[in-house]
Amino acid sequence: MSSADSDAPLDQAAVLAALRARVARQEGAGRARPDLAPVPVCEGLGLPGGGLSRAAVHEVLTDAPGCGAAFSAVLLARTGGTVLWIASGRPWGQDELVAWPPGLARCGLDPARLVLVRAERWGDALWAMEEALRCPAVTGVVLAGNGRLDLTATRRLQLAAETGGALGLLLRPGAVGHTAAVTCWRVGPIGAGHGLEDPRWRLELLRARGGRPGGPWAVTWRVAAGTLELDEGRAEFDAPSASRASG
Amino acid sequence: MTGRFLALHLSELATDRIRRSEPDLPPDRPLATWAASGSRRLLVAVDRAAAGAGLRPGGALADAQAILPDLILRPADPVRDGEVLRSLAHWARRYTPLTATDPPDGLILDITGCGHLWGGEAALLADVLARLRRFGIAARGAVAGAAATAAALARARDDNPVAVSGIEEAVVAPLPLGGALRLPQPVLEALARLGLRQVHHLLALPRGPLARRFGRDLLDRLDAVTGRRTAPVQPVAPPPELVAVRELLEPVITRTAIDAVLDRLLDDLCGRLRRAGLGARRVALLAWRVDGAVQEVAVGTGLAMREPAHLRRLFAEPLGGLEPGLGFERMALEARVTEGVAAGIQGGFGVVGRGGGAEAAMALAQLLDRLRQRLLVQRVAPLASHWPEHSVAALDPHGTPPAMPPGWVAQPWPVLLLRRPQPLEVVALLSDEPPSLLRWRGQAYRLRGAEGPLRLEPEWWRAGSGPRRDYYRVELPSGTRLWVCRAGGRWLLHGHLP
Repeated sequence: MSSADSDAPLDQAAVLAALRARVARQEGAGRARPDLAPVPVCEGLGLPGGGLSRAAVHEVLTDAPGCGAAFSAVLLARTGGTVLWIASGRPWGQDELVAWPPGLARCGLDPARLVLVRAERWGDALWAMEEALRCPAVTGVVLAGNGRLDLTATRRLQLAAETGGALGLLLRPGAVGHTAAVTCWRVGPIGAGHGLEDPRWRLELLRARGGRPGGPWAVTWRVAAGTLELDEGRAEFDAPSASRASG
Repeated sequence: MTGRFLALHLSELATDRIRRSEPDLPPDRPLATWAASGSRRLLVAVDRAAAGAGLRPGGALADAQAILPDLILRPADPVRDGEVLRSLAHWARRYTPLTATDPPDGLILDITGCGHLWGGEAALLADVLARLRRFGIAARGAVAGAAATAAALARARDDNPVAVSGIEEAVVAPLPLGGALRLPQPVLEALARLGLRQVHHLLALPRGPLARRFGRDLLDRLDAVTGRRTAPVQPVAPPPELVAVRELLEPVITRTAIDAVLDRLLDDLCGRLRRAGLGARRVALLAWRVDGAVQEVAVGTGLAMREPAHLRRLFAEPLGGLEPGLGFERMALEARVTEGVAAGIQGGFGVVGRGGGAEAAMALAQLLDRLRQRLLVQRVAPLASHWPEHSVAALDPHGTPPAMPPGWVAQPWPVLLLRRPQPLEVVALLSDEPPSLLRWRGQAYRLRGAEGPLRLEPEWWRAGSGPRRDYYRVELPSGTRLWVCRAGGRWLLHGHLP
């Protein structure tokens, strides 16, 4: 900026805004989709744009399949349209888990809007997700699986999502990797300590394009109200039992 | 209007089939098939050379080998013969959509209104026979106004006649009984003893005594060949509702060429569908190979479609299953199932917007069609059952699911269910108390909380419900919540709670 200052009296704020826009354009994150409001996650997290951007792929990492599935279902329900749930392989141990519509209905996901897809091969699962993201009539797609997910594969999914405008979620166990996903979340359980009614989760934003990582936050999912609530001033989830999310 | 039927008699089908499947058999040596009948081995079919040497079906195998020492013998296989006959009936669909087998060795083609496409019925018949001869299949044919008449003419005469309609009785009258009526040998011999050798001998007799002496079957056959009573032809494949055909001058082999032909066929068929105000639910591509085999690939759609681009994408994968061999000489695209489509609903493909309800529904239907080509895709419908495995029914993805029952939201159900519940080791202080200790995946957990039981009684009116279940929601020290149940003294992990 020093050379610009010396040459001419430039409006620094305008230059910064133009540069930001250019970077965003190159990254493809802020592709102008003003018709697509972001999907709200939880009040008070301070996410860029106010929530998860649609027309983008996000990662949800979890070691507790119940938590991850419920969190994904809550987000998908908020997209407000037809949703595809693609399951592939056995990502969490040797048990074959199937999405169960009565439980997902509790997350706000109407079974009439839900389409279940089962893909045995990981390649088929990725293909199905890409096709679904590309379809303008679909508002949300989740892929629960644990296959190889590299930069190329996720970039393809990201491009497909930008074409179709759907929210894509990659629900998987394990650690954060090199992917082209716009954000990467980790969700795990925290014991409620008071009955088993409303689940509490430990939510962490590991990576966000065009923003800062954040968290961990402790959130409570109010089932009856259908909202996620940020717990104020409670930090007991930093106990060692919670840092390893589950067994 | 009366129908016109072409009958083919494949007199040496069994031996021709063997020669086709074993091309290195010496063509100048006679060939016959045999089968065991009790302790005897009898000839079943003989080819022209063997018949010329005096061998007949039904003769003893040992005699045949004595008469013709260089006779090639193969076991008879009527099942394979039937398959070949069926595949030939499919092949003959190049002439007419209605073709039927006439077991054991005949074909019937309903060529009503098809003759002029080939320059007359005689030219059509000549074309069929010439092509069959090129495949190495000996055939005789006839055209007549009734299927049975044509079959009788094809069997009893060897000049491939074309008979006009209305004179069936006169045409079959001079035919010998054996070929025309296909009677069993004992009946034929009994008739011959009475001096009845030709059809007109029988026609001159009173019907009542004839039926009493030889049974109704004889009269039925007689009525069929004289055209007095017609039986419906059972086609090997139902006739398509709409069809587009390409005859190819050069056989196509490569995938690129096949794709190009398919493109033209799709444009053609979709144009016809549009003009008819229809959309296709099921489309089949038929490909006639140079050697006479007919291959078929089919795709189905959830909504009635007439978008060439969409159908092309659906065909992309199944087309890989075609085996062109030496090439396809003819391809046809058939709309097997069609439905009416309102005119406005099918927008231009690719410009489907987010807003329009009908366009979005169409885009979703096309997506599900594509996914269903490879994967298991289903919607779910609630069922009136409290048993977890029975509470959801898989539904065709294009169906409209019924409304969600209100009870679903109220219950703290798991979000993920194990397809097969896994056994767990659980310690409960008393047999009716919630569990306090749990061993899962080789690790022991002291439970932080447990709620339950939710007692589900088996549905005795339904098979396979198993014993009564007590469901508990338990929380591990890490906060992970599981849905476990006690069923008949065993503990099972059945689901993951949020």
